[in-house]
Amino acid sequence: MGILRDKKNKSASLATSPCAQLRADYHNCFNRWYSEKFLKGQWDKEECVSVWQKYRECLSQHLDDKHLSRFLEADELLDLTSQANPKLEKEVPK
Amino acid sequence: MVRAYSQEHTYKHPWERVTSASWRKFADPENKRILSHILEVDTLNHKVDSSSGKLYTTRAITIHAPGPWFIRKIIGQDICHCVESTVVDAKTRSMQLATRNISLQKYIEVQEKIHYDPHPDNPDKWTICRQETSIHIRPLSALASMAEKIEQKCVDKFQQNSAKGREVMERMCKYLEAEASGISI
Repeated sequence: MGILRDKKNKSASLATSPCAQLRADYHNCFNRWYSEKFLKGQWDKEECVSVWQKYRECLSQHLDDKHLSRFLEADELLDLTSQANPKLEKEVPK
Repeated sequence: MVRAYSQEHTYKHPWERVTSASWRKFADPENKRILSHILEVDTLNHKVDSSSGKLYTTRAITIHAPGPWFIRKIIGQDICHCVESTVVDAKTRSMQLATRNISLQKYIEVQEKIHYDPHPDNPDKWTICRQETSIHIRPLSALASMAEKIEQKCVDKFQQNSAKGREVMERMCKYLEAEASGISI
C-alpha cells in the first residue's frame, strides 16, 4: 500500500491558532451584533469593523492553504446556497 | 455512485433563536467537546447588503475525519478542509448554509445544505430545519471495490455527527432562551 500516497497533502493544515484570540473577539462581537442588531432590522450600520480587520489580518498571515486564502480577498463572496450543483464559483452579491 | 439523504428536524424555538444558536454552535467550549471532529472554524469573509437585509458569510471548517488505517495510508492525512457559505435573509426570515469539501476532492465529495425556516404550523415559535447531504466517493482503482462500503460508512458517520449537531443546537437554544429571560443556567 501507499503507492497513491500524496505527500504534498500531508502538511496541509490551517494553523490559524495564532489567531484564536482575535477570532474569539470577532465571533463574540459578531454574535452580539447578529442577535441584537441584525435580527432587529438594524442592518445598515457596519459593526465589529476593527476586530474584524485585526482577525482578518492575522488570517491572511497564517492561512497557508491556497484554496482557502482565495476567499479572504475583499469583495469576493462565495454563494453556494443558490446553486443546484455548486462548483467553486465566486459570486458577488448584488 | 452518490449517496444522498435528507433529514428534517423541528426546533421548538423561534427562528431568531435557532439561527443565533447556529452561529454559536462551534464556538462554545462545551459544544467543542461534543463536536470534537470540528477542529477549526474561521470566518473568511462577510458582507451585509444593507438594502436587502441579507447577510453573506464564507467560513472555513477543518474537520478531523480519521478512517480505517488503509485509507489513511492511501490518502496520507486525516483532516479535511470545507468551506461553508451562508445567506441569512432577515426580512423573509430564512437562513441557508451550504458546505462542501475543498480538500481530498480526489477521493470524496461531500455537499451539505441546511435551511432554517419558520415552521409553517407555528411560524413565530418553531423552526424547521431541512438538511440535504450528498456523498460521493471517487472510485479510484485501488478503492473501487471498497468505495461503496466506504460511502455507507461515511453516511453513517455523517448521520452520527448531525445527531450531535442537533443536540448541541437544542442546548444552545435553551441557553439563549434562558439568557433572554434573565435566568442563568
